[in-house]
Amino acid sequence: MLQEKIKLINKDFSFEIKSIKDAKQLDDLRVKYFSKNGLVPSLFALLKEATSKEKPLLGKILNEFRTDLQNQFDNVNSQLNDIKNTNLNKLDLTLPGVISNIGSKHILTQTLDEIKFIFKGMGFSVHEGPELESDYNNFEALNFAQDHPARDMQDTFFVSDDFVLRTHTSPVQIRLMKKQKPPVRAIMPGRVYRNEAVSSRSYCMFHQVEGLYVDTDVTFAELKGTLASFAKQFYGDDLKFRFRPSFFPFTEPSAEMDITCFICKGDGCKICKQSGWLEILGCGMVDPNVFDNVGYDNEKYTGYAFGMGIERIAMLKFGITDIRVFFENDYRFLKQF
Amino acid sequence: MKISLNWLKEYVDIGNLPVPELISLLTMSGLEVEDYKDQNEIYKDFIVGFVKDKKKHPNADRLSLCTVYNGKEDLQVVCGAPNVDKGQKIIFAPVGSTIPKGNFVLKKAKIRGTESCGMICSEDELGLGDNHDGILVLDSSLVEGTPICDALNLNDVLIEIAITPNRPDALSHIGVARDISALLGKELKIPKVKSSKSISKLAEIEIEDKLNCPRYSAKIVKNVKINESPAWLKNKIKNIGLRPINNIVDVTNFVMHEVGQPLHAFDLNNLSKKKIIVKSTKEISTFKTLDSKDRKLPKDTLMICDGEKPIAIAGVMGGENSEINLETKDILIESAYFNPSSIRKTSKALALNTDASYRFERGTNPNITDFAAIRAAELIAEVSGGKIEEGIIDNYPNKIEPKKLTVRFTRISKLLGFGIDKEKIKNILSALELNIIKEDKDNLIVTVPTFRPDIEREVDIIEEIARINGYENIPTISKISITLDKKTDETTFTELIKSVANSLGFYEMINNPLLSKEKAMVIGDPIIVKNPQNLDMEYLRTSLIQGGLKVVSHNIKFGEKDLQLYEVGNVFNKTKKNIKSFDDFTEKSKLLFIVTGKSTKKEWNVNESGYDFYKLKGFLNSFERKIFLDNVLNDSYNAHESNFYDNYFQKNYKGKKIGEGGKLNKKILEQFDISQDVFLFEYDLEYLKDIAPDKKYYIEPLKFPKIYRDFAFIFDKEIIYNSVIEFISKNSSELSKSVRIFDLFENESLGKNKKSLAFALEYYSKDRTLTEEEVEKDFRSIIAAVTKKFDAQLRGN
Ligand SMILES: [Zn+2]
Repeated sequence: MLQEKIKLINKDFSFEIKSIKDAKQLDDLRVKYFSKNGLVPSLFALLKEATSKEKPLLGKILNEFRTDLQNQFDNVNSQLNDIKNTNLNKLDLTLPGVISNIGSKHILTQTLDEIKFIFKGMGFSVHEGPELESDYNNFEALNFAQDHPARDMQDTFFVSDDFVLRTHTSPVQIRLMKKQKPPVRAIMPGRVYRNEAVSSRSYCMFHQVEGLYVDTDVTFAELKGTLASFAKQFYGDDLKFRFRPSFFPFTEPSAEMDITCFICKGDGCKICKQSGWLEILGCGMVDPNVFDNVGYDNEKYTGYAFGMGIERIAMLKFGITDIRVFFENDYRFLKQF
Repeated sequence: MKISLNWLKEYVDIGNLPVPELISLLTMSGLEVEDYKDQNEIYKDFIVGFVKDKKKHPNADRLSLCTVYNGKEDLQVVCGAPNVDKGQKIIFAPVGSTIPKGNFVLKKAKIRGTESCGMICSEDELGLGDNHDGILVLDSSLVEGTPICDALNLNDVLIEIAITPNRPDALSHIGVARDISALLGKELKIPKVKSSKSISKLAEIEIEDKLNCPRYSAKIVKNVKINESPAWLKNKIKNIGLRPINNIVDVTNFVMHEVGQPLHAFDLNNLSKKKIIVKSTKEISTFKTLDSKDRKLPKDTLMICDGEKPIAIAGVMGGENSEINLETKDILIESAYFNPSSIRKTSKALALNTDASYRFERGTNPNITDFAAIRAAELIAEVSGGKIEEGIIDNYPNKIEPKKLTVRFTRISKLLGFGIDKEKIKNILSALELNIIKEDKDNLIVTVPTFRPDIEREVDIIEEIARINGYENIPTISKISITLDKKTDETTFTELIKSVANSLGFYEMINNPLLSKEKAMVIGDPIIVKNPQNLDMEYLRTSLIQGGLKVVSHNIKFGEKDLQLYEVGNVFNKTKKNIKSFDDFTEKSKLLFIVTGKSTKKEWNVNESGYDFYKLKGFLNSFERKIFLDNVLNDSYNAHESNFYDNYFQKNYKGKKIGEGGKLNKKILEQFDISQDVFLFEYDLEYLKDIAPDKKYYIEPLKFPKIYRDFAFIFDKEIIYNSVIEFISKNSSELSKSVRIFDLFENESLGKNKKSLAFALEYYSKDRTLTEEEVEKDFRSIIAAVTKKFDAQLRGN
């Protein structure tokens, strides 16, 4: 009788203890089996009813049974405690990480780096020149005659009669050609100055990249191909471009290059003044007078030159509408790029 | 320059070429159209309206409630113009029309509670003039409902072209028409004039300065009646953006815009001795121009004089004393050719730019003065009832002949990269009036018309061919060849510097090198700009520091107080008073690091800390290590002469200063309106570049174990770290490879004016494992030496 009850309780207990998930369920189990009126003490009550002959054996069985259940209970209890303790000692992985500071290059530098990368890939060297230039290098040598209206194209800051803040990076062409015999293939980035009132659209200084290639067989067709390749690499493969005649004293023929406005895709918008085109650079074939001025044989050699403004390119590319933000160096601006 | 399409069509037939195509054609041939207004498009919705009735607006004193008849129905319109009145014919903008000023679509609106179905327009709103005081009242004979394009002859296209400085020939309607005729292959129609024989009895012209005035032609018209111009002339003048003045001035303007020759009309009876003398001033003088302003003329200003006095500044502006007026009967029309650079000098010196000087300084056509004078005389006679005097007075001592140039077909393809059909080339040249006078299988010899001063060489002709043939027809090649020569990149070092600075957490700034005098004078000997834009940008920077501090100040104002910035840029210093050569100033590339505020902000597991002198030094050390200049530069700490810094140090290479910086003085910071500590350091970048090694060698990692020892001593407080570490290094055996301070401690318990410094020493050999004994021996001997040298006390360990 008692043995059958033990079997039954054992079966239930084994089943129930397996499904214990938390301390609350375990405590319920404890109350059910081990409390004063629980199932296990109730078995001891039944022992009283057994014959004195059976009592020692049944007592032994019952004690072993109780110890077994208690062990099972303790095991589960300690497992639950372990889990709880581990959870208490575990890191809260959801806390934020500690930020490391990494600075960045100015967005104009980053834009220039991209331009340099493309032209270096096409075999161009990179050269620099001074910002405080002689009037001769900035104008005369580049075929700007002294009393010619072409000089009005670039409002100039003078520091003396003979020295100016360079108005373009083109004097670096002169320096380079005077130093080196053809072939010369280089880009020349740098800072330039214009005596213009500061506004959202113009600033008294900005940055340019000049390009020059001189050899015995340089053609306008190559100029077009090279700049088209640059524009596609820089602005995207799907753009259209056009070259239209223009005038620069140091190139002949001269051209300006437009690309399809990437804001409106050519339909016309405020940025492109409804034309669908954006002017991105000036270029042309090096004027023979410039070759004369640097001592190159202008029959033997031909060459092309181009120049583009970096601010303008960055403004278009990043949707910046006020050129002054480049030079305010607001930390919130610098950190964006 | 403004071009009227209707006017242009008088010289070239454009067939039924749509306007946008014409615009594109002009732009693609080098006459860049900046903007154009197609009146038929802009005014298509506007009609003539009749104000049937006008009442006061019930809710606004200044507004009227008008009933406007549009030819079909009566509409209620609210109008704010003071001059609107019952019975007027007006320009009516119906709902849905686009108002040119502001470019907005007109909607039915409630104005102060009353509905308004349209708008009565002013000149200004329509872009027809600048009068915005009231509405435009039309001729009463106009019929309601008539489109205003028809009623007011608004059927032109007004084209704004940016003419490049090399193209004076295109500064006229005929000039633009010539390009179009070449582009479209259509004939150029030039108006005919009666030919005049040269005579000299009517007035005498004497040219004293033949260099600056190679030709002076004049034509006389008598008995003119000065009056308003007829409608056709006024309309043309208005359409190109000029204000009609009177029939004489309007004709001279008309001819200038027709053929490009500036003209001037003198009152013949005001010319003393009926004489014109062209000469340059010998000394500085003053002259009153027709705008009643006294002009100060420099020496050598080319003047038009009569028998006794100057009457005009040649090519720039006439004088008040010879201006035509309502009483003028007889006029002399001046049509001259002046030396471009002489006119430019005068115009620059007087800061006086006129339509005439603009053309003369770019170069007019010397061989058209007679044509222009006769053309003007004929038109003046037509519109003023005057009588043209027979003959032309023409002083042209040395005729300027067209240049002859040779073009080689091979040169065209060598430059452009493709060949153009010979017949096509010849057609282009002929259309541009570059007449072919000789031709063989390789060359063309052409004469260059005198209206093209820009065409001086073969290459200039090649440009004309390329331009008219179309740049779009030049192939865009898809392969280039690259030489295998060495390529250089002079920016590599700067790029390296910048990426190291970025990795240390610095952001790059780019500053304007132009500074105010006050800021520039802080350091060095700044160079002044002779013609600054304003006083805030009068001097060139002498250092990157001023710009950096301006940025710090700007950012603090916007709440960004924790900054870590760098800049690479050029600075300028005078070495002589006047800059005549590159030896009279220096332009140097510098690198500035600047830190201020907190270096780390309080976070849940990080404590807040600020930038300080040692953090700055640490940045510099890390930076130098990355460009392989650690252990090459040495620091010195002499006080700075200018009191610029509170804590100053400089870095030297073989005794030469390579950079300097430290903690800035409060006084300097106040000048920039900064009240927090700022730490900065400026390197001479060119020098840094020179000494930075361009080759690095591999060092094999150590194969034998290192042995470490450390000790701490109590020193007198005034003993500086550097003297101790140098002493230890010098007095160690070659087994000791490095010494490093790892603790500094000051406390009363050490004794008065004492401090404790703790050092860690590293022993190793590249060739063997050291024994404890030999290290211990060395270590003991250093302890003894330090104790003795500094009277220091070894702390128990
Ligand atoms: Zn667009």
